[in-house]
Amino acid sequence: MNPIIQSLYRDGVPDPEAVNNFVDQNQFPLVEPGRVTFVYRGQAEEVYLRRWIAGLSTAQALEPLEGSDLWALTMELPEKSRFEYKFEVVANGARKLVLDALNGVLAHDPFGANSVCQGYGYERPGWTLHDPEARSGSLATLKFASSSFQDTRELEIYLPARFRRSRAYPLLVVHDGLDYLRYADLKNVLDNLIHRLEIPAMIVALTQSPDRLVEYTGDERHARFLSEDLLSAVAAKFPLLDDRNARGLVGASFGGVAALHAASRYPRTYGQLLLQSGSFAFSDLGHHKKGPVFDPVVRFINEYRNHPFALAEKIYMSCGMYESLIYENRSLVPLLQDQGMQVFFEEARDAHNWENWRDRLRQGLTWLFPGPLWMVYE
Amino acid sequence: MAVQIMLGPQSPRANLKNAIDSLSFNGPIVTITAGWRDSEAETDELQAEIGIPIEDLNLYHQAEKIFALEPELRALQRERQGKLLELQRLYRIRLTPTMAAARKLLREKGEPDLLRLEQRAAISQVRALDRHHVRRISAIHQDFDTRRAALLIPGAATLRQTIKRKVADSALVLIAGGHVAVLINRIRLFRLADELAQKPIIAWSAGAMVLGERIVLFHDDAPQGKRDAEVLDTGLGIVKNIIPLPHAKSRLDWSSRTRMALFSRRFAPAICCTLDNGSMIQMENNRITSASHSSVIMRTGWKKSVKAQ
Repeated sequence: MNPIIQSLYRDGVPDPEAVNNFVDQNQFPLVEPGRVTFVYRGQAEEVYLRRWIAGLSTAQALEPLEGSDLWALTMELPEKSRFEYKFEVVANGARKLVLDALNGVLAHDPFGANSVCQGYGYERPGWTLHDPEARSGSLATLKFASSSFQDTRELEIYLPARFRRSRAYPLLVVHDGLDYLRYADLKNVLDNLIHRLEIPAMIVALTQSPDRLVEYTGDERHARFLSEDLLSAVAAKFPLLDDRNARGLVGASFGGVAALHAASRYPRTYGQLLLQSGSFAFSDLGHHKKGPVFDPVVRFINEYRNHPFALAEKIYMSCGMYESLIYENRSLVPLLQDQGMQVFFEEARDAHNWENWRDRLRQGLTWLFPGPLWMVYE
Repeated sequence: MAVQIMLGPQSPRANLKNAIDSLSFNGPIVTITAGWRDSEAETDELQAEIGIPIEDLNLYHQAEKIFALEPELRALQRERQGKLLELQRLYRIRLTPTMAAARKLLREKGEPDLLRLEQRAAISQVRALDRHHVRRISAIHQDFDTRRAALLIPGAATLRQTIKRKVADSALVLIAGGHVAVLINRIRLFRLADELAQKPIIAWSAGAMVLGERIVLFHDDAPQGKRDAEVLDTGLGIVKNIIPLPHAKSRLDWSSRTRMALFSRRFAPAICCTLDNGSMIQMENNRITSASHSSVIMRTGWKKSVKAQ
């Protein structure tokens, strides 16, 4: 049992005031080296911890604590781990997923919010937070006609602080770019890393698909859209370095598939790929069991696994150890390396979520686009 | 002999004005801000900080004019930079294992007499490699100078002479920080070393680095992890026996005495002096005449305040 709960029960069943004090005076969940204890307070018939960690049951029951309306569950958790969760509360026969009311740390994604469990030793990296000393880049909107999709598309363009038209910049194209801005604090990250000279000043095109489950799953139109429509629209408006190594693609989950797919269709166009928790599903034998959305993904990854080739200069890949995709990502690494590409693979004690992707951006971006830090002494 | 004052970074608190006020001079001030690269012309903040008129030599942009007048020189320059880049890569291939061995030996525990000689030999190997690298760099510069002498184009020569004269006629030269390779490259391209050696100079960060005999790059807290300090190039040699270390507080791993001790012993007899925000070292005749907020790294890995000699 967690020592703080032990101390609550040291003199027997605690009175309501002691329970109130316990709730008011502690931060939840209760974190200690190697373990974490979740606490729920409220009347219920059953309470479960719901989290999405590959290899573990998605639901674990909390136990009621005697003589109180508290429920608790202690589980192992390696240091510096992070995962997102909710409580499933059964009351009056109804089941409801709720945030942990005792934990103010939340992570947001396009589907809403989750409570966040930060294991012992985890700290949000300082470079993801707003730094008042870092000059702020700006965002502009760019609309252009896409012949690939036969419609009009809109991009947000990040321009670095002190942007000048007389200079030429590297270009990074980010899938789910608006989500990266909202949920992974991409603008803070870019402002900070550029300010610290850890990456060069760069232009970043943030693209957001209206139908990512189709367009990001190995769609030939999307590869053409990125490499022809988008690149020429951005180049017409902004000064870009005309060099493959100064051009990169970023994507997480299906966005990672879309980036890898586009690079495979235009192998001389992109030098740098940053792929986070890519949904690189494949099948060695028989049919995959991931559902029809994955059919085109599996076709593409199988095709690439059968006929691999160098499709970029450098690839940074990251994946959470607590997500099922770790298997697919680990499998892809040696294959990519064998083609002569430089591959940096990073695993984190985290899951399939935006904060995991946010926390890996410094490693990925600075490896792919090293800044002038080594040479500059202001 | 002229005075040289080396300062740390000028942000968040600037001490440049204090340094200027400490000198008595009568005449124009010229500035070299080539390390700012394409922001070179943006000297308004600097001007406001010191409150005295300055003239920037615009070396970064003037070089482009010279290259336009002398395409052969541009080609020669590119060739030199290409060779230096490749040489640095080759140097690094040997440096990494040599430094790793020296560090490992410095951390070893064992019979002191036996170990001490091995440690000394390991550090000597690093020093020998650095010396070899400097010789190779000097040879590349010498080859460049010889071949360049054959290129005599009047327009470019006039531009160069104008800049040299501005330095010669100045009463004080300020050399700003920035990209250290670009800075030394531009100063070298205009062959200003002799003129600068005669002038009082105040230089900060990268500006201070180029005054020394060797330019040493270092960063123990880079995003991709610690790197071994590297000799990048020869400096102007105006200041002898000092390795200036701007941003030392944040760029060096002071928690590792082994790393710091190796840093110190590797470059001895030159002393490795920190230049952080607020630091100042004043030199005359290659002697430190005053210093504040600067430390020297000792051969034990500890540091102590820099004192006047």
